[in-house]
Amino acid sequence: MANIAAQRIKREFKEVIKSEEVAKCAIKVELVNDNYTELKGEIAGPPETPYEGGTFVLEIKVPETYPFNPPKVRFITKIWHPNISSVTGAICLDILKDQWAAAMTLRTVLLSLQALLAAAEPDDPQDAVVAKQFKENQDMFKQTARHWTSIYAGGPHRNTEFDLKIRRLTDMGIEDHQARVALSSYNWDLERATEQLFS
Amino acid sequence: MAEGWTYRSNCRYSGRPSCRGRNSTSRRSTDSGTNWIHGDRSQSGERMSTVTPGAGRIPCRFFQRGACAYGEQCRFLHNAAPESRVSFTRKESTAVRENSNISTDTPTTSSALAGSLHDAPRRQDGRKISSLKKQETSADSGIGDEATESWVNAPEFIPSACGTVPASASTNTNGNANTNGNGNASANTNTNANVNSSSKSHKSYAEAVNPGGNDTSTLQGEGNDKKFCPYMELNGHCEYDAECPYIHGDVCEFCGKACLHPTDEEQRKQHHNECIKQHELDMELSFAVARSKDKVCGVCMEVIMEKSPGEQRFGILPNCNHCFCLTCIRKWRQAKQFENKIIRACPECRVTSDFVCPSVYWVDTKEDKDKLIQEYKGAMSVKNCKYFKSGRGKCPFGNKCFYLHAYPDGTKADVGPPPRQRRQNADGELEVLQQIILWDYLEERDNRLMMIDDLEDFVAFFSDSDESDWSEYDLFFD
Repeated sequence: MANIAAQRIKREFKEVIKSEEVAKCAIKVELVNDNYTELKGEIAGPPETPYEGGTFVLEIKVPETYPFNPPKVRFITKIWHPNISSVTGAICLDILKDQWAAAMTLRTVLLSLQALLAAAEPDDPQDAVVAKQFKENQDMFKQTARHWTSIYAGGPHRNTEFDLKIRRLTDMGIEDHQARVALSSYNWDLERATEQLFS
Repeated sequence: MAEGWTYRSNCRYSGRPSCRGRNSTSRRSTDSGTNWIHGDRSQSGERMSTVTPGAGRIPCRFFQRGACAYGEQCRFLHNAAPESRVSFTRKESTAVRENSNISTDTPTTSSALAGSLHDAPRRQDGRKISSLKKQETSADSGIGDEATESWVNAPEFIPSACGTVPASASTNTNGNANTNGNGNASANTNTNANVNSSSKSHKSYAEAVNPGGNDTSTLQGEGNDKKFCPYMELNGHCEYDAECPYIHGDVCEFCGKACLHPTDEEQRKQHHNECIKQHELDMELSFAVARSKDKVCGVCMEVIMEKSPGEQRFGILPNCNHCFCLTCIRKWRQAKQFENKIIRACPECRVTSDFVCPSVYWVDTKEDKDKLIQEYKGAMSVKNCKYFKSGRGKCPFGNKCFYLHAYPDGTKADVGPPPRQRRQNADGELEVLQQIILWDYLEERDNRLMMIDDLEDFVAFFSDSDESDWSEYDLFFD
């Protein structure tokens, strides 16, 4: 790894650890390997959003050309969000792509992602299904996102109605996550989800 | 081994028992270890001290100064120095002369001897002013060709016998002034000398030689009275003290050097002003260092002044106040994976700046920054544009180019605004760049290496300056 990248990540790592966001448990960074090329990030779901109370784990890969190129970040925790793929966890965020700036740090990236959770950009979607739901049925989106948060990110709000519908599908031999994706995609319409799953 | 270079001078180990080639007593000992000449002590006592012609012609410097550690065994001539030396050297030198026949035999030493004869009288009174210094003063007082002659009856400073000095001094200077074809001046100096000698009981050597003294109105004044004693100025003390032919100035309270003329008010004032100016510069510098030393580059996040010496440079963006090291900001601005708008913006605040100004220190205030940028542009505007090539090429930046567009005869060229191909958006320059690369490619596709060179060159240019610029600018700035 280029010297400047490793040096900078080391400094940033210390900066994040000392930062007040860590003190407030809003963000967290852990080392995955010793050479600072891969890190594990964590962000707390922002308050007054469907993600509140959840903890989202991120995979951060630092390229050799860092900081002249952005780090590669994706969500490991499954999340229901227009700008984040519900399948791969890939993030659509301009600063992680063409709007990167060399002065940005791990801390600012994590805070930006937290802000992204609070303010989705449905017009520039990563997950078209989620974005469509977000635009057409805001309330359903919120419920779905809250449900996903509670299942995958340890959020506090269990939705018993959604759980029941999933149980119906799993009883039919459908895998749990697959059932949830199908139901989420069809606004928790059990009939259409079943139709899609068995078609 | 080549014959030519051997046997020229005595083996330097000869005379000490330890030379490995010692066994060979023959002068041509190519088969033995050394090729140097060994004077053979056992056979003839004289040989030892005999100096071979090559080295013997050169007088021993140490002996001339009074003591040579090699004594009789020195390879260099020990008799050029006069008899007026300290007693033990004199004895030695006569001993040398008895043993060696050089002094009488070699005609080349005769001039040296003659010189030493001239020296003899002034050496007699035990003055320790070196002959070098004497010659210097003679040159200073403009005696020139007559130097050797006038040395014979050069006025001598005898501290307690001032009365006798002025007569000889005045006649002497009279002669000098006349050779300069300046009768009036001689008259003036003559009277001056008399006045000086009568008013002052204690004349310095400088005054004796150059009675014009501190009187700057006379032509004679261009001599020693303007020159400060370098020892006094440098060390604060001079071993000749009051006898020193040069001025011992007063100590300047700013620079701590003895460089204030005792009487010349103008010089004092001028020096004072220079010192204050220097002091202000020093203060400015220390402020600059103070405000620079903690600055952290926003890209590499290192303290810039703690980076490796070659990288301790700031890249100042004209349109915002964020701090980067030159290396990082240039690298960022050369990134090809982003749009031009992104890389030309400050990595912290995204305010676009058209160029980066290198600086050794961080600048805080707008005035400092403007001054720095002005200096930078000034430094660049005297350098020939690599694209204009003194009229042979075409510069894509037109009259917006920071570099000099001038023809070989020095006349400046008005190349007009940059070419019209530029679109009026923020990416304009990138488009120009692409056009040029394409053009280069079409023109020079047979010579790809050159194209790559040119491209790199261009990128460096595009970021407004390259390393060579910088190093030159560095000098300019300092």
